Amino acid sequence: MTMLLEVDDLRMYFHTRDGIVKAVDGVSFTLDRGQTLGVVGESGSGKSVTAMTIMQLIPMPPGKVESGRVLFKGADMLEMSEDQVRKLRGNRIAMIFQDPMTSLNPVYRIGQQIGESLRLHKGMDRKAAAARAVELLTLVGIPHSDERTKDYPHQFSGGMRQRAMIAMALACDPDILIADEPTTALDVTIQAQIIELMTELQKRTGSAIIMITHDLGVVADIADKVLVMYAGKPVEYGVKDDVYYRPLHPYTWGLLDSLPRHDVNEKTALCPIQGQPPSLINVPSGCAFHPRCPYATSKCRSEVPALRDIGGEHFAACHYAGDPGFERGVIECAGVGA
Amino acid sequence: MSDHDHIPHEARDRQETLDAIRETGQPFPPSEEFELHAGDSRTLWGDALRRMLKNKLAVAAVVWLLLMVMLAVSADLWVPQTFGSPTKIDTTTIVKQRLIPPSMGHPFGTDDLGRDIFARVIYGARISLAVGILATAISIVIGLIMGALSGYYGGLIDAGIMRLADVFFAFPYILFVVALIAVLGKGFINVFIAIGILGWASIARVFRSSILSVKENDYVDAARALGASDLRIMARHIMPNAVAPIIVYSTMSIGGAILTEAALSFLGMGVQPPTPAWGLMLNDAQNFMETAPWMMIWPGLAILTTVLAFVLLGDGLRDALDVKMKD
Repeated sequence: MTMLLEVDDLRMYFHTRDGIVKAVDGVSFTLDRGQTLGVVGESGSGKSVTAMTIMQLIPMPPGKVESGRVLFKGADMLEMSEDQVRKLRGNRIAMIFQDPMTSLNPVYRIGQQIGESLRLHKGMDRKAAAARAVELLTLVGIPHSDERTKDYPHQFSGGMRQRAMIAMALACDPDILIADEPTTALDVTIQAQIIELMTELQKRTGSAIIMITHDLGVVADIADKVLVMYAGKPVEYGVKDDVYYRPLHPYTWGLLDSLPRHDVNEKTALCPIQGQPPSLINVPSGCAFHPRCPYATSKCRSEVPALRDIGGEHFAACHYAGDPGFERGVIECAGVGA
Repeated sequence: MSDHDHIPHEARDRQETLDAIRETGQPFPPSEEFELHAGDSRTLWGDALRRMLKNKLAVAAVVWLLLMVMLAVSADLWVPQTFGSPTKIDTTTIVKQRLIPPSMGHPFGTDDLGRDIFARVIYGARISLAVGILATAISIVIGLIMGALSGYYGGLIDAGIMRLADVFFAFPYILFVVALIAVLGKGFINVFIAIGILGWASIARVFRSSILSVKENDYVDAARALGASDLRIMARHIMPNAVAPIIVYSTMSIGGAILTEAALSFLGMGVQPPTPAWGLMLNDAQNFMETAPWMMIWPGLAILTTVLAFVLLGDGLRDALDVKMKD
């Protein structure tokens, strides 16, 4: 059986006046039915653009797909006509956006917005869509849903709006749910509720999830596989336990070290990765991470490391990944005072 | 420093919540947030209406305009019967009837041809309101289409339409109207066609900029991600959020169109005598400014109050339709 989604060497470049921005540069991954892929990286690492490219929501120009394939059930979405892609969007592949405060149209009632994709894709009439919207809102845990579908977005709180967004995305029972930092704009208790809701719904509907986040903590809870991105390139990719417990790339080490932990005394200082992510117009030579990498050598400065299988479907793009002795050590941490 | 202080707590809070959820088996604890706005089912338009009603000047403007419309529409039923025809010149009584100052029988007085000025002002309102509304309607139709194409598609289409708009802006407005009338011919219909055609450029610009800002909203991307077509996104998701400035601008431009019509009629390029039009009446009044000032005052006041009412109404709408205005 073919994979549900297979992304192969995807490259999305933006041709701007200042030069070519390689926002997504050679991303590959596979996603099977019911699986969850976590895509992790700092701001500007190309996580969202990857998702938007799969959905073909990037305006072209300035964007241009330089290479790659996005196989949905074996069919290349990049080769499809706009009409064909539109039939998949919101129907087979749905997306949840980052900011629930701005992702709902302020002039329509919640119920109308949830029902929109049902009317677009399932040919439901207004009444049937409205009835289904009530069910969906109940499904995402909003009480009095028959009343609340008649509300406008400004009458919902942030957490409720994100629930409504999830209801919208789930309306057509999609095969894939792409969630672009769905919890970033919410406070932590609501975050936990939303994450729990998504895992719960995944169990029930069996849809695959691509969870985009800069928070490894979020991914740890729900992902089967993890893709770590840096400056548009994949730097580490593997099953969650490998990436979490046997990370290979110094960038992943840095991300894990900078993660606040609930099981450690809170007085411990956080250990952030020094420096800033590079500008995508001016990507450092060699390994893009070398200016921030405490292990960088001259080889790192001159040669671009390829993403290679270190063993057991665990990929890393580092010259030294997997070398004996090249291990996540206790780097002297400049730290941030508590 | 303080930015980082709370992060460990946050992570712990989340973990605790998750643990709690898993332990209790109650995934979605009913929290207070769900009850926060219960029962509060105001609509956006309801809010707008409420803000509008609070603005006394705008309400006065609406009342004034409604009164004008009612008088103008019902004029045939009572005006000629009470005050005499606004157009017909009765040569037998003209000497006795001309230039009567405001009095019981002729509340606004009569003009140099013995016609009742009140009747002429009321009938003039028909012309002015009709020209104002129809001309603006033409501008809106052209302007909305052009602005929508320009704002939504951008690129060459945008550049083309906006340069065309610049061309329209580059001409002196009143001269352009006069030139158009000269080509189309004088008369009521040509007046509003000319004013309407020239008004599209500013509406297109306002609408374009409003679309450009609405287009950037996440809900437009969200609609596209739902599989909505370009046309649907434009009509259902962008338009309703972008029309508020157009409503405001159009209301004000009705006032502008009325002024232009008055100016054209005054110059003799607009509505032709004996049809009563306010501009035309002002023109007639020129020779009698000192002997019969009422000939000038009443149509002048009519123009002033009507245009002012439209501007005040537009102003009120701007505040009412602004969601950010809290009351």
